[in-house]
Amino acid sequence: MKIFGNKKAPAQVSTNMTTKQVRYEALVKALHSDLYRYGYWLTRDKQVAEDLVQETFLRAWRALDSLKDEKAAKSWLITILRRENARRFERKRFDMSEYEEATIIDTESTTTEQSIENQWLRDKIAQLPPEYSEPLVLQVLGGYSGEDIASMLNLNKNTVMTRLFRARNQLKDALEKEPEKMRFTHE
Amino acid sequence: MNDNIHNNSASQAQMMDDLQFRRSILADPSSQDEAILAAKSADPAKKKFADDLCQFDEKLKQAMKITVPEDLADKLLLRQSLASHQQEKRKTRTHLALAASVAIIAGIVVNYLQFSNSYSNLGDYALAHVYHEQAVFSNGDNTRVSLSSLNKKMSTFKGSFNSSMGELISADYCRFDGMKSLHLVFKGVTDVVTVFVVPKEKHLAFTDKFTDGKLSGESIGFEQANILVIGDKNESLTKWQQTINNNIAWSI
Repeated sequence: MKIFGNKKAPAQVSTNMTTKQVRYEALVKALHSDLYRYGYWLTRDKQVAEDLVQETFLRAWRALDSLKDEKAAKSWLITILRRENARRFERKRFDMSEYEEATIIDTESTTTEQSIENQWLRDKIAQLPPEYSEPLVLQVLGGYSGEDIASMLNLNKNTVMTRLFRARNQLKDALEKEPEKMRFTHE
Repeated sequence: MNDNIHNNSASQAQMMDDLQFRRSILADPSSQDEAILAAKSADPAKKKFADDLCQFDEKLKQAMKITVPEDLADKLLLRQSLASHQQEKRKTRTHLALAASVAIIAGIVVNYLQFSNSYSNLGDYALAHVYHEQAVFSNGDNTRVSLSSLNKKMSTFKGSFNSSMGELISADYCRFDGMKSLHLVFKGVTDVVTVFVVPKEKHLAFTDKFTDGKLSGESIGFEQANILVIGDKNESLTKWQQTINNNIAWSI
């Protein structure tokens, strides 16, 4: 195909590829943890979360040129991951049994008081309806404002704030029923 | 956490205010909204409520930070490098396939242009051929071809002439619409007379008489080949036909 191509093209392509590679690696290193955790709270399944992150980054690689603002990278990736998750539901409509505590298995050792508390909280977060937990994770873990979350989830801001309020309110209610689970209550 | 002090002592308006405050704080504990900040500094209980929730958020955050598989980042990088390798390979293959296609098409086009059957009958093609070579031969040409060399060429068509039929200026093989043919040019009355010996082929319809106003032609169909005579209006094509007919001998 050299007849048609610019002779300088291969060199240029390879520098572009190198730049792209560097960008991609930086993106993976900086954001894979956030993405994985977000994916986990979205699906409540570690394996599925890992698959989602893989798919997300693969798509991100292909579309990397469309990412102009590095600051927007995280919400860009989250958007891809949400879309991938939706696609997963289109592919197979299996029952996720999201509210079953049995699916929330944590393999970490639960020896310290801190980890017992974490585990208890995780169970409670996992029991929240997904429409409540999703904005909560974005706010607490992602550090996004109400406006940001509204635009990421395609909701209006009031809806997001109501859901955030209900999410925390439910967690607080749960806590009040079992105050001994949290050191927080003894303070 | 479960304090209702404010509710007990507050007026209706204040109670609404308090509910609103709780609602806002529960939606966003670290809100920097001015009204919220003002309410916090005015009421220590509200401030405590907000601070407690901020602390709760911190715990939530810790709880949400589940352990990330150690090898996840490596896996992601590996998968990408495999994927882009595949992509590169696919690209190369596509390029190769494209180049091959272009080459094949170029070949077909060249072949088509060279050997295309753009004329549907013998007459049309013969006239076009004569016009194409009009500039090459003239009635005044002094070159003559001997009967023996003509017959040597005729042997391809398993035929021969008994005597010379006139003054033969040129006798050469030519490609008559893709078919190997013999092209004879005789000296005529005013202009050259062209005779084609063409193998019998189906793709050109046999036309026994044809003309375009300036030149006319007649064909004789022999079992072995078609012979076409083309000349201008001063030539008696019938006479030429007779001469040919009388002189030709076909070997079996």
